Amino acid sequence: MATVTNWVQHLTTDTDSSTDGIQVAGEIYPMVGTEGWLLLLGVIFWLAWHFATASGESEEQRKLAKKSPGPNAHKNNIPEW
Amino acid sequence: MTDGLDALTVIFTEFYYWITVVLMFLIHVGFCMYEVGASRYKHHQHTLMKNTMLIPLVTVTWFFFGWWIYWAFPTGPGIAPSIMTESSGLILGGGFGANDLANPTSSIMAVNLNDHINGVFWAAFLLFSWTAASIVSGALIERITTFAFGILAIAIGSVFWTIDAAWGWHFDGWMVKLLGYHDAYASGVIHACAGGFALGVLAVLGARIGKFSSSGEPRNIGPRNPWLVCVGLFCIYTGFWGFYAACNIPIFDLGPEYGMEGVTFYTATNIYITPTTLSGITLNFLMSLAGGLLAGYWVSKGDPFWTYSGGLAGIITASAGNDLYHPIQSLLIAGVGVWVAYKMHYWVERKFKIDDAVGAVAVHGYAGVVGLIICGFVLWGYPSSGYGDAYAAINPMGMIIGAIIMFGVLGFLPGYIIAKILHAAGKLRIPREVELAGLDYNIMEAAKKDEKAVSSASR
Repeated sequence: MATVTNWVQHLTTDTDSSTDGIQVAGEIYPMVGTEGWLLLLGVIFWLAWHFATASGESEEQRKLAKKSPGPNAHKNNIPEW
Repeated sequence: MTDGLDALTVIFTEFYYWITVVLMFLIHVGFCMYEVGASRYKHHQHTLMKNTMLIPLVTVTWFFFGWWIYWAFPTGPGIAPSIMTESSGLILGGGFGANDLANPTSSIMAVNLNDHINGVFWAAFLLFSWTAASIVSGALIERITTFAFGILAIAIGSVFWTIDAAWGWHFDGWMVKLLGYHDAYASGVIHACAGGFALGVLAVLGARIGKFSSSGEPRNIGPRNPWLVCVGLFCIYTGFWGFYAACNIPIFDLGPEYGMEGVTFYTATNIYITPTTLSGITLNFLMSLAGGLLAGYWVSKGDPFWTYSGGLAGIITASAGNDLYHPIQSLLIAGVGVWVAYKMHYWVERKFKIDDAVGAVAVHGYAGVVGLIICGFVLWGYPSSGYGDAYAAINPMGMIIGAIIMFGVLGFLPGYIIAKILHAAGKLRIPREVELAGLDYNIMEAAKKDEKAVSSASR
């Protein structure tokens, strides 16, 4: 998984011999080449969040609406720790 | 980087943008304080969470597609050819500025030893995106669902403001070329656009219960904590310093960039890569803040909420041309914008029954539009770009059309349409009983029970 296993070797390996000087491979994160799969995982996590939280919010509001405590009921619930 | 001077330039630029991002974080801190201060006690925690959650939502979508849109859409597509690809299609690859750099699977969208700029530049734009979404957030408090706001935040923060930035806030943007559009510090591309978007959503969402009497007279639902609102606005001012710096490129050699043979001219530039100075825009930032505060105090007869908002609206009004204005021009332009924004806010409220809880449409939307129009007259004839004759000069008609695009086409319309869809799905507004009881009712009830249990405990 590790893209770099030896810093000295990495920083002295020329990836493009046609260009002057040592051209170092810039990518140093793990699993280089899997960026597309990582993106897919990220998008799934993002969309799952919307579905999970939206259903939770709707359910909570449905219950509270059914209870219908009224506009001033919250004043009895102000904690005075 | 093997050359010391090149390395210094690159790392200075990297650090410069990094600092602007940290400073701009204060904008969001300020918006959270401001919004919570403006909401009523029974809605506080949900109001805070609504604004806070736009941070991750806009961030991930900005990574997935927002940044890509900015680099892909300068041509429209199909409206004007790019100076990089000479095609009017989407910009999808090759060379500086090309879209493959912003592709979420690109290797420079990560730690990469060969790139020091993409991440910090991405982050600077991301903070602009948060700002756009946060502007909308305040207007909608106490009655929108968190789900709906999340969708709307992504739409304005990662899609619509990004498109208008590609069109009018990019050295290769078609609006700059064809209209002579000039908007150095985003009067239009962020503020008018987000203000228009908020107005579109408000038109569908409706007013808070009790905002209007049965005869249609508006009632004041004042900020519950004016001090929190005012400190929040101070934080927004502070973050705005970072925003101004982030809109600049700190060091650029314009000689070779403009094709001037043998000429070397290092300067800071604005987003269009035309010259300005950090020193000059600092003068203008402060003078427009002063003009806005003076006008806000005057027109509102010393009301703290509108005086502070006036300071912000003043900067927003002058921002379009603050890279070139004289400081006294900035002062006066800011004053005009604040006067118009204040009057428009109350006229629209009465006439159309729009309940903009924090005056966001006025401070950002109307002030932004006024700023664009004034900029067209004051900077009439200035070149919009240094890249040659393909670009129209700055002119009033181009700026008026630009204002319509920013506020109306990419602001109001998408906000209205998406809100309509959410409304049709029954997801836009919280139930009436919940609005009356307060979004935090369950949290408060649980906290009261906890308090009783703890206070009656003996061990």
